[in-house]
Amino acid sequence: MSRRIEQVVVVGADAPAWMAAAALRQSVSAAGIRVRVIELPTLLQPADVYSALPELAGFHHRIGLDESLLFSLCKAVPMAGQRFSNWSGAGPPFIQGYDRPPPVAAGLAFTQLWIKGRQKGLRTDFENFSLAAMAAKAGRVPVPTQDVELRSTFGYNIDAAAYSALLRNFVTRGGVETKMAGIAELELDGDRIAALLLADGERVEADLFVDASGPQAALISRMPGTELDSWREWLPCDRMLVASAKALKPLPAFGQISAFRQGWVGLFPLQDRTAVVAAYDSRQISDQDVVDSLPALANVPISGDAVVSSLTQGIRKRTWVGNCVAVGESAFSLEPLDAVQLHITHYCISQFMTLFPVDASAFREAELYDRIIRRAAVNLRDFQFAHYKLNRRFDTPLWDGCRELAPPETLQRKLDLFAARGRIPLYDDETFQEQAWESLFIGHGLMPQSYDPRVDAVPEQEHIAQVQARLNDIVGQVEGMAPVDEFIAGVNSEQLQRLKPLDEDVRHLPTRTMTENMGAD
Amino acid sequence: MSEPLDIVILGGGTAGWMAAAALVSLVPPARCRVRLIESEEIGIVGVGEATFPEIRNFNDAIGIDEAEMMRATKAAFKLGIQFVDWGFKGSRYIHPFGVHGPVGMDHIFHHRWLRARRLGLKWDLQDYSFAAQAARDCRFELPETRRTTIDSAYTYAYHFDAGLYSVYLRGLAEQRGVIRTEGKVRDVVQDPETGNIRSLVLESGETISGDLFIDCSGFRSLLLGKTLGVGWEDWAKWLPCDRAFAVPSERDELSPYTRSTAMEAGWRWRIPLQHRTGNGYVFSTGFIDEDRAAASLMRSLETKALAEPRMLKFQAGRRLVNWEKNCVAVGLAGGFLEPLESTSIYLIQVAIMQLVPLLPCKSVDPRLRDEFNRLIDLQYERIRDFLILHYKLNRRDDAEIWRYCAAMDVPESLTRKIELFRHSAIIERYKDGLFPPTSWLSVFLGQGLIPESYSPLADTMPGESLLGHLDAFHADILDRVEEMRRHDRFIDLYCAAEPSAVPMGAEIRL
Repeated sequence: MSRRIEQVVVVGADAPAWMAAAALRQSVSAAGIRVRVIELPTLLQPADVYSALPELAGFHHRIGLDESLLFSLCKAVPMAGQRFSNWSGAGPPFIQGYDRPPPVAAGLAFTQLWIKGRQKGLRTDFENFSLAAMAAKAGRVPVPTQDVELRSTFGYNIDAAAYSALLRNFVTRGGVETKMAGIAELELDGDRIAALLLADGERVEADLFVDASGPQAALISRMPGTELDSWREWLPCDRMLVASAKALKPLPAFGQISAFRQGWVGLFPLQDRTAVVAAYDSRQISDQDVVDSLPALANVPISGDAVVSSLTQGIRKRTWVGNCVAVGESAFSLEPLDAVQLHITHYCISQFMTLFPVDASAFREAELYDRIIRRAAVNLRDFQFAHYKLNRRFDTPLWDGCRELAPPETLQRKLDLFAARGRIPLYDDETFQEQAWESLFIGHGLMPQSYDPRVDAVPEQEHIAQVQARLNDIVGQVEGMAPVDEFIAGVNSEQLQRLKPLDEDVRHLPTRTMTENMGAD
Repeated sequence: MSEPLDIVILGGGTAGWMAAAALVSLVPPARCRVRLIESEEIGIVGVGEATFPEIRNFNDAIGIDEAEMMRATKAAFKLGIQFVDWGFKGSRYIHPFGVHGPVGMDHIFHHRWLRARRLGLKWDLQDYSFAAQAARDCRFELPETRRTTIDSAYTYAYHFDAGLYSVYLRGLAEQRGVIRTEGKVRDVVQDPETGNIRSLVLESGETISGDLFIDCSGFRSLLLGKTLGVGWEDWAKWLPCDRAFAVPSERDELSPYTRSTAMEAGWRWRIPLQHRTGNGYVFSTGFIDEDRAAASLMRSLETKALAEPRMLKFQAGRRLVNWEKNCVAVGLAGGFLEPLESTSIYLIQVAIMQLVPLLPCKSVDPRLRDEFNRLIDLQYERIRDFLILHYKLNRRDDAEIWRYCAAMDVPESLTRKIELFRHSAIIERYKDGLFPPTSWLSVFLGQGLIPESYSPLADTMPGESLLGHLDAFHADILDRVEEMRRHDRFIDLYCAAEPSAVPMGAEIRL
């Protein structure tokens, strides 16, 4: 018999649980649906950091969270991108910046102009034409301006424990009931959770259970048919280490990701410290050896303890079973690379809200959710694996192995088309748009062999002028940006409100087609 | 400097001349040279007199002035398609080129409407579509560009004489350097090793060589199908219509929408142009014979016929790939889907505009070809499913074709969409190709598929508030539509093919 959802229980810990609860409260509480959180013990270590994409600001805006609190309470540092070093042997480091895509319009992608320019002797690196990369190099914080062709905005590094506490506070003060507890058992009824049996004896029933418990997947892993499909074959690092170092002065506008023989080590600047994260392959190096060599690998002295944990990259065979939906890393997880970790949770929650079930006795929305999440996960996995596939280190089996591996077909198509024509085929549910893939591929040394023939219709003088204009625009915009320390000091709620949501004003441009005009995104 | 790519287009008509015009306008001669072979003897199908909004992007890319084109092709505007008698006899609904509800509320609006219906609301969803209201009232103005007002919530396309459009493009293309050769092909010469097409030998004996061949030879698919042997994927079991009669009739009321009326063995189109009305009956010989179909069409014309009906034969389906070796099919040579949603010219356009950025340098790079094929696959599949939807969702019991279509199995991807909408009022979104959610919504509801439920996210506002908002929005639409100029008047002022008695002037609000 069809009936409405009345009670939702979120199970999890840390930011993912609070993000899920906040989104639910915002969207369905006013409809009379009760939201409750069963809070599991935290998985966070004091040194943990969340590295986040600019999209996260949209989430904060939607739930009504004042972004300035990230800076005042969570030691946040705005990031224009990440710099990758030593992935290409002797090749130079490159920056993957958070450029926003230009509006959908007629006209050639600038990348095509650059490719032809390169063939004609243009020596300026591709990175110089990325507003975000140039802002990053100058230590400045990109913010959206009137310019719709060339725009960038910042992501973040956030202290994980502080951010979780902030969200927890936000959610509980918003009236969501919360209880700290462990789960003793799941009472299953076929493929549905009839109730949770908590360690303290309480029996918790609900119409819908949201598993926001991270990779431990406390609920979804106990549902039928949800084994983890491992992605270890693509992403070789199975161990992670987190530690802290002193704060960097002045604060840089990018995170630093350096490859080493058995993995990579990242430096993520925060206001009061620098988070150091290493990901590595335990088949190639032991935890102890990484701890011991960390100061040399990271090139900074380490303060305090390093904590090691496992990484299990992969995706659940099913991400929504019966009345249990996995959001975030309980559904799929990747390496802590490319700032995807929080985005995984954000994306799952956003999709879930558009598919919020209409009937507590039949969850027909689950199949579409699973397909969407799977596509998004594969695209993100491909993005991370591309770093490994395109590496030009020839020093260890780890790097040789990745380079020689035949990539998944989805990625092979991207590599092939980019190598042939400098174009990126995008599929459904992509997080990263063309410019992110382009800067990744070109940064790792993949140079297109030809370019869009329409570039040949641009007269040489005009071509040169456009190239020069873009360089000038970037220099001009970067000059107007605040350095990181100054940005943080001057942050206030009102200023941040004005910056978001990100692409609202882009929609004011004239559009011509059904798909552009009708809100497809 | 490397040699230019030599492109040979076989066939004129809309497909051939759109391809020629685009290539010569977008790519300089140092990069590619374009030749087109056509024969006056070979009849042109004259397909697709109604279009889809994307055509405006195509015209812009080539640098065509809208008013001038409309004058040359005797065009009128199109805000959508009205479907009559599809759900059941007596039903009518509009598939608009615009959203339902206010701009920016696309995800949630129809859920709110569903809830409001349960609270007693009388209006249909299309009463909240600005484009549908304007169309019904025979009004037209160019949409606002600022994306916040009611009048930005729609876009538009054209009704035009496709024969005149291809003549117009031919003039443009030849002026910009396309070489036209009159003649019929007698032989195709292939490279013995690779199988690539090397040249075409005309009946006159002239040999025309090329690097890349664009097959616009229509249903015959002389190059892709017959020469290169690319197989056919048949879709007749889902789309049983295999014939059409077309007949022009006198000019009628200039309504800014195409009308599709379901008939005893298919459906009839009505396309109003400035100088005449285009009519046709798309039907299935499995359910009616040709003579009866012709008679049925003639009987149902709203205005006097201007000629005898002309018949076309076709099959629903497509070539397995549209780019094989060094041959790309554009238009009917690559596949056919009936013009129920005016997608014929759209498919031509999409093939051309995907081909241009992927043009080989000289010899074919399979990586470029594979990407082209991937994109075209998506386009065909998505349109196909949407057309099948119209047939599947009929609730008529009065003729065999309708009973057949209601009962037929449909592609799994479509079944899933139908069932999900039925259950939760959710519409799946996808990135490439037609149709956006607003289109699916209008057909689902228009043909009577009312969802069993709606999203709880629409339950957050108090019922009274919701009804109040909807009333106010509905009133806004009606007010704004009433202020709009009548469509025939707008045509007079903007792009009359014949000079009008009334002078153009400051009256035009553009």
